[in-house]
Amino acid sequence: MRKADKILIVSIMIACLVLIIPIMQNAPVSKEAVVQVKNKEVLRFSLLENANYAVDGTLGKVSIEVKDGAVRVKQENSPHHYCSKQGFVDSVNTPIVCLPNETVVRIEGQEDGEDVQIQ
Amino acid sequence: MNTKKGVILAFLIALGIVFQLIESFFPIVMVVPGYKIGIANIVSLFALYAYSPKDMVIVTTGRIFLASLLQGTLFSIAFLLSVSGGLLSMFAMILAYRSKIFSIYGVSILGACFHNVGQVLAITYIYQQYFMQLFLPILLALSIVSGLCIALLTRQILLRMKGKLGLWKTSI
Repeated sequence: MRKADKILIVSIMIACLVLIIPIMQNAPVSKEAVVQVKNKEVLRFSLLENANYAVDGTLGKVSIEVKDGAVRVKQENSPHHYCSKQGFVDSVNTPIVCLPNETVVRIEGQEDGEDVQIQ
Repeated sequence: MNTKKGVILAFLIALGIVFQLIESFFPIVMVVPGYKIGIANIVSLFALYAYSPKDMVIVTTGRIFLASLLQGTLFSIAFLLSVSGGLLSMFAMILAYRSKIFSIYGVSILGACFHNVGQVLAITYIYQQYFMQLFLPILLALSIVSGLCIALLTRQILLRMKGKLGLWKTSI
């Protein structure tokens, strides 16, 4: 092994560290959850404070609980209760879908935020 | 190219295919998806040092095409990733070999690194998503390890084969 090889290894390691910094900083911080019923946004709340919410689904009330930055469907009326069995979700990539109630709970990362709101 | 060399290159391609197939049977499942040591690169590196860059290109492209033909992934996404990584790593290895700055270790590590870079570029182009770039630093760090392993093995093979296939001028 020559000196140039060692320099190469060290420089690749440094490149790895340099590359990892912007990725760490750009990691999306999930803060808000959006509840959609029949493709319409009905509720938007912060995940930072623990609270309970309720929306009107197709088959009745869907109650949603926020706890420690994660969200779950606490109680709902549907044949199989898939969405309440799913439990707490804190990732932007996993929505909670309750098809019988036509309700979708989705966490929005900072990156996906709206640019401009036109009314 | 005489007949003897042609036959040896064909044997190298066959060996590379076997290595690649065996490795695909036992994927080293780690935290990082898509990480492989790339034992088949031994063959490419051997061809580069025992013969010439031109012979490495023959061996590597032959191995990529035939192995994917045997695996049934010809012209699929896995094949495109293999080709893009292979081409870029060949390019880097030839440049590093020609520059005569690096020993076999440096050449191998550069090849492994650029294989990963090529694959990430291809994934980004195909899927138009940037999520694989999150793995690039980790893949690069791991490619140092795999590059060193491959270089170590190839160096031993070259030292043991010295004088049997004809001499090579470049110091390992």
